[in-house]
Amino acid sequence: MDDPVTAVTGRPRRLGGLRDVFGGVSAISVKELRGRMRGKRAFVIITIHLLLVAGFAWMVETLMERTLTSGFGGTFSASADIGRALFVAMLILLTLIVLVLAPASTAGAISLEREKQTLDLLTTTPISSLAIVVGKLLSALSWILLLLLASIPVTALVFTFGGVGPDDMIKGYVVLLVTALFYGSVGLFVSALVKRTQAATVINLVVVIALTAGTGFIFIFWSTMTNNGFMPNGGRDTGFIDSLGKRPPEALLWFNPFIAQMDVICGTETGFGGSCAVISAITNNQAALGNGGFDNGFVQPRDSYWPRAAAAMIITSLVLIVISVQLVSPTRRWRIRRRRRAPVDAPAA
Amino acid sequence: MSIVKATGLVKRYDRTLAVGGLDLDVPEGEIFGLVGPNGAGKTTTLRILSTLLVPDAGDAEIAGASVRRNPNDVRRVLGFMPDSFGVYDDMKVWEYLDFFARCYGIPADRRRRMIGDLLDLVDLGPKRDNYVQGLSRGMQQRLCLAHTLVHDPQVLLLDEPASGLDPRARVELRELLRELRSLGKTILVSSHILPELEELCTSVAIIDRGQVLAQGRVAEIEQRLRVGAVFRARVLGHVDEQEAARAWFAAQPDVVTADLLDDGTIEIGFHGDDEGSARLLAQAVGAGLRITTFSRAASDLEELFLQVTAQDPVPADIAAGPPPAQTGWTIQ
Repeated sequence: MDDPVTAVTGRPRRLGGLRDVFGGVSAISVKELRGRMRGKRAFVIITIHLLLVAGFAWMVETLMERTLTSGFGGTFSASADIGRALFVAMLILLTLIVLVLAPASTAGAISLEREKQTLDLLTTTPISSLAIVVGKLLSALSWILLLLLASIPVTALVFTFGGVGPDDMIKGYVVLLVTALFYGSVGLFVSALVKRTQAATVINLVVVIALTAGTGFIFIFWSTMTNNGFMPNGGRDTGFIDSLGKRPPEALLWFNPFIAQMDVICGTETGFGGSCAVISAITNNQAALGNGGFDNGFVQPRDSYWPRAAAAMIITSLVLIVISVQLVSPTRRWRIRRRRRAPVDAPAA
Repeated sequence: MSIVKATGLVKRYDRTLAVGGLDLDVPEGEIFGLVGPNGAGKTTTLRILSTLLVPDAGDAEIAGASVRRNPNDVRRVLGFMPDSFGVYDDMKVWEYLDFFARCYGIPADRRRRMIGDLLDLVDLGPKRDNYVQGLSRGMQQRLCLAHTLVHDPQVLLLDEPASGLDPRARVELRELLRELRSLGKTILVSSHILPELEELCTSVAIIDRGQVLAQGRVAEIEQRLRVGAVFRARVLGHVDEQEAARAWFAAQPDVVTADLLDDGTIEIGFHGDDEGSARLLAQAVGAGLRITTFSRAASDLEELFLQVTAQDPVPADIAAGPPPAQTGWTIQ
């Protein structure tokens, strides 16, 4: 028999640096996407996603139409109002979908490899830990990107009503993508940190709730206490406690994509925009509102908040990716001290 | 020439010393067996050699590349099959190999041919389009072995490759490893199933409590240690005849013990080489003993293992004390 191994494979190419990483990312992404897109599953998920999005859009449109055309016979800007309401509803729904899917797509990325005992096979190849982490994240993000792309025709229905420009839609989708990146990175980090996928999924859910509803609640509570003159230390200067007597920082809400989308929605508003008022309150940007903080529709704090929130999410994502790479690497330098057991030789067959 | 060389490897998990100053020298082209009981340090040693663990002290070189300094170079020259490995769901057999070939940066045109040839080598050609999770344990084992070969490595590290396999699959695996050796691969294989290693390996290292107690060819170690063998003989006749035969054996030089077992078998503790055992049998027949069977009671490697580990050369405090400064020892 010929030498089937040496005759065919030859030595692998020695790739260098970035090319090596790209090769690894490509290998991981191809493998992950093959799994995700195989069979009817992907088709069924995209169909359900589109039915949900389209059905929701239809319901919002019908609701707004009934509301605006009843009573006094409607307004001259009814069509634009429907368009804006539809846009708001779509952004909220898509943000919710991304918040659910992004961490769920990456929750098992590393922990499943550990559970299935495939991580050792992977880490003994020359593929770098960076390539493993980035490849996993990219494949999860490309799956979410596919769902978002599929929703664009439905979201684009707002253009038939008016009130929303293409630039508003682009901004909304940029926030959605950044949200997917951030929550995907959070999911990946938790997956690399925790051994079990079940635990990683639960932790991710808690993190999502904490960073959205939790931060929102804390902000409202903090603001209310401050506005009411509540001082936890009774007015004495005690450093940290005293700082709680001041306004809550807007950074508290940077990882809450709903607030970032409010800023995007604010950009579409021409009247007494509720979302603009919220953003003004969060950023404490009274001057931007003009007229002493009254939103008159001429001077608005447009695009003042979401770029900062997006930048914060991107930077934090990069930090989480770097830490995840360290957690995946078998020869990592930074180790969290925890008790480990020696690998036990296999029991008798 | 050594292709795998470990010097003074130490690995500690919290207060447990898994490997305590281990030296290993694996010549090129051998099927080298790591023999030892559960918890002896075989898996830790293999995981250090495969760059999955960083040793606390010492170093190892594989084909001249250091596992500490150049782990990536080491990964390019070795294929590792862990003792317990999983398979990816939703992946076909060819996709499994294709994925690992991509990990090694093998170009697309070579991948297709290589996958076909590797599947033929491990006898999984007809299963090419089957899902990996649908394969039997033996087939998955062979597929995992095939994945270690996608980059044509010089060294294969196989941790308990036959565990969980049925006898037929074991024989097939053994044949496959022999074939790989004939292709020029050096194979380092760990197991605690000694007869299996004995049939397969050209050299062995006996490991216990994180140290190599003896290494080399089985016959050489045996010679160095002057290890004896246990033979079992069956003699025709009544109990008196069997008792007389036992007494005859007991009186022979090089026979340490001779016991008559309940089933009529005589167990002979013999301290001699193959020449001596052949002479003993000839003399027994010449003395008129009606012998029906005369065979070794256990494998050489088993005896060797028991003898070597019974000498208990590892310091008693090794499991709890600080890492020893010495670089392990071998029986030379």
